[in-house]
Amino acid sequence: MSAAAKTEPATKADLILPDLLYTCERAYQTANQTLIVIREHVQALVTSGGALDAAALDRHQYAAHGLSWFATYVSALSCMLDWARRLEATGRLGELESLILQAAYSEYLHQIYGGLPMSQGEFVRLADFGIEVRERQLLQSPYTTLLREHGFTEDCKARLAELMKDGHFGDPGLDDETLDMVRDQFRRFAEEQVAPHCHGWHLNDQLIPLEIVETMAELGVFGLTVPEAYGGLGMGKMAMCVVTEELSRAYIGVGSLGTRSEIAAELIRLGGTEEQKQHYLPLIASGQILPTAVFTEPNTGSDLASLRTRAVREGETYKVTGAKTWITHAARSDLMTLLVRTNPDQPGYKGLSMLLAEKPRGTDADPFPAEGMTGGEIKVLGYRGMKEYELGFDGFEVPAANLLGGTEGQGFKQLMATFESARIQTAARAVGVAQNALETGLRYAQERQQFGKPLYAFPRVHGKLAWMAVETMVARQLTYFAGREKDSDLRCDIEAGMAKLLAARVAWSNADNALQIHGGNGYAEEYAISRILCDARILNVFEGAAEIQAHVIARGLLTR
Amino acid sequence: MKVLVAVKRVVDYNVKIRVKTDNTGVELANVKMSMNPFDEIAVEEAVRLKEAGTVTEVVAVSLGVAQCQETLRTALAMGADRGILVTSDADLQPLAVAKMLKVLVEREAPDLVFLGKQAIDDDANQTGQMLAGLLGWAQGTFLSKLTLADGRAQVTREIDGGLETLDIALPAVVTADLRLNTPRYASLPNIMKAKKKPIETLTPADLGVDPTPRLTVLKVEEPPVRKAGVRVPDVATLIEKLRNEAKVI
Repeated sequence: MSAAAKTEPATKADLILPDLLYTCERAYQTANQTLIVIREHVQALVTSGGALDAAALDRHQYAAHGLSWFATYVSALSCMLDWARRLEATGRLGELESLILQAAYSEYLHQIYGGLPMSQGEFVRLADFGIEVRERQLLQSPYTTLLREHGFTEDCKARLAELMKDGHFGDPGLDDETLDMVRDQFRRFAEEQVAPHCHGWHLNDQLIPLEIVETMAELGVFGLTVPEAYGGLGMGKMAMCVVTEELSRAYIGVGSLGTRSEIAAELIRLGGTEEQKQHYLPLIASGQILPTAVFTEPNTGSDLASLRTRAVREGETYKVTGAKTWITHAARSDLMTLLVRTNPDQPGYKGLSMLLAEKPRGTDADPFPAEGMTGGEIKVLGYRGMKEYELGFDGFEVPAANLLGGTEGQGFKQLMATFESARIQTAARAVGVAQNALETGLRYAQERQQFGKPLYAFPRVHGKLAWMAVETMVARQLTYFAGREKDSDLRCDIEAGMAKLLAARVAWSNADNALQIHGGNGYAEEYAISRILCDARILNVFEGAAEIQAHVIARGLLTR
Repeated sequence: MKVLVAVKRVVDYNVKIRVKTDNTGVELANVKMSMNPFDEIAVEEAVRLKEAGTVTEVVAVSLGVAQCQETLRTALAMGADRGILVTSDADLQPLAVAKMLKVLVEREAPDLVFLGKQAIDDDANQTGQMLAGLLGWAQGTFLSKLTLADGRAQVTREIDGGLETLDIALPAVVTADLRLNTPRYASLPNIMKAKKKPIETLTPADLGVDPTPRLTVLKVEEPPVRKAGVRVPDVATLIEKLRNEAKVI
C-alpha cells in the first residue's frame, strides 16, 4: 500500500483501548512505582540523619518541587481512574468519558516519562532526580507504552472534538442528587445574572454590584459551610466546590466573593471562642457582614513568619500599627480577619495573633472612613470586581475581646487550620475559570470561519480544545477528591495543595490557548477571553504561589 | 386553598437534541434532564400564590421514570410542600397522564391544577386541556396573568390576536405560558429543606389507570440539513431555477 493510500476514518471501537480501565489501572501502578523511586532519590538529596534538611531542600528545589508535580500527576491519574470506575458502575462511562480518561493517561504518562512542565519553559524530567537512563527504562511497562502511543492520537482528538461540539464535556460524576441540583441552580444564576454583565464590570473596573451580592446571600452562598447551629447550612466542601466552580465559570470575581466568607467563617469556627462564634458566624452566613482577609504585608508575602504589623494592648483595646497590602474587597467589607504581631519579643510564627477587626463599610467617596486606617487601590490586570488595596494602620483600635480565641500567639496556627479549605476553594475557582476558557474558545472556534470552514475543523484548533476539556476534567476530579477527603474529616493538606497547583496551571493554559484560538480578536479588550486570560493569571500566584505550593507539598510528601 | 402542580422531566433546554440512529426516538442516554421550563413557571406561580397567602398548600406531581423524583425535588426546592411521584417506564402519553392526574385530583381535591402549557419534548399541548375535559372543570390555558378572588379566577391568555382575559369558576385547570413569571433560583437553604419534604410514590396501577400508549411513533428524524446555496450568473437563470428547480414560482 502506498503512503498516499487513503485510510478509513477510525471507528469508535478502534479508538477506545481494549480493557481500558484495567490498562489504566496497570499503568497507574507503574506510574506510582516511578513516584516511589523519585521520592527515594529526592529523599537522599534533602535529608541528613533521617531528618529533612531545610537548606538542602532549598538547594534542591528543582528536584523537590519536581517530586510535588510528579506526585500531583500520579494522584490525578488515580482520581481519574476512580472517576471512571464510579461512572462505569452506574452505566455512565460513555464514549466521551472513556476518551477523556485515556487521553489524560496518555498525555500525563508522556509527560511523566518525557518531561513535565511545572510552568512554561520549566520542565522537570526523571534525569533531574538523578535517575539513570537504564533505570528510567525499567520504570515503564507495556501498559504505559500502549496508553502513550494510542491514547490520544489525532483521531482521538478529532473524535473528542466531535463529541464535545454541542457543549458536552463529560459527566462530572458527582453521584449526588442534591449536588446536581445545586450545580443546576447556580449555573442558571451565573449564566443569567453574572455572565452577561461581568465583562462590563471588568472593563469599567467596578465593584460587583451589591444586588448580585445580595442575591448570592439569599441563595445561601455565604453560609454554605457554616454549621446550622450558627445560622449556616452545614453543607460540605463538595457543595462549596460545586457552587464556587459554577460561579467562577461565569466570573472569577463572583466565585471569589464566597472565599472571604469561607476563610473568615472557618477561622472563627475552628479558632473562635463560643461567644465569637455566636456573634459572627450568623452574620457572615447571612451575608450581613462581608469579611476580608488581611494577612499580607509589603515585605511579607509567602513568608508570614516575618510579619511586622503590631498590635499593642492598652487596657481593653488593641492599637494596631503597620502596613498591609493585597487586601481584596477591603473598602466594601465590614470585618477584617487581621493578622498581627502581639508579642514583639517572639520572632517568627509564635508572636502572631488574629484579630476580628470590625470596620465601617466604605463608599466610593470615602473608601476607608475608620479612624486610624487609610487605604489606596492597587490597579490590577484582572481579578477585579472586589478591587485590591494596600492599607495603613496607625493606632487603629480593636476591642481586646475581638482577639480570635481569646489567647495571644495562636494566629499562625489558626490561619494554617483554614488552609485546606482555602486551597480547595481556590482549586474550584480555577476549575471554573478553566471551564469558562474552554467554552469560550470552543464557541469562537465554531463561529469563526477561515479558508471556507470553521476554525474548529482544523486539527491544531480542535486538538487544543480537546486537551483543554480533558485537563479540565482532570483538575476537577483532583479538586473533588480533596473536597471529599475534607468532608470525610481526613487530613488533606497535600491533596488540597495539589488540586490548587494543578488547577491553576490548567486554568492558565486553557485561557492562553483559548486566546490563541481567537487570534488578534482575543487580544482586543472587547472579547471576553481577554478578561479570562487576566483573571486566570492570578490563580498561579495567590493562595500560595505555584512555587511555594510545590515546596509545601514536597515537605509534606517527605515528612508525612 | 390547595394547588396541584404537574411537572414533567424532559431533556434540558440547553441540550442539542440527537435522534437515535434507528429513528425510533431521541437519544436520552447520558443526556442532561431538567424540569420542563413551562412547568417551572407553573411551580413558581403556585409558590408565589402561597407566599401571598392565597394558597395554603402546593403539591407537586410528576409522572414517569423513577428519576422524575429529581424533578420533584427541584419543585420542592422552589417551594412546593410535598410531592407525588407516579413511576412508570412506559411511554406516558397526554391522555394517560390526564387520566392519572384526574384520579389524583379526586384524591387530593385541589382548587386549582397548574400545568405548563406544553412540554418542550413532544410539544403536545394536550394534557391540561384533556384533564379539564375529564374533570368537567373550567380551563384557562396559555396564561400570562392569573388573579384569584372570591372562588373565581381571572386569567389573561396569550392568543394570536393579543391578550384575552377570561373569568372562570374554580376549581379549574390552568396552564402557564412563558411570560407569566420568571422562575426563581432554588436557594441552598431551600434545597436542603427540600430533602426533608415528603414524596409519595405510586404506580399507574395504584391509580387504576392503564398507561399503555394509544399512539405509535412511526419515525423520528432530524430536521433536514440546510444545503449550501449556489451563485447564479443572472436574473434569467435565477427565475429559471426558481421555476423549474425550486418550483416556487
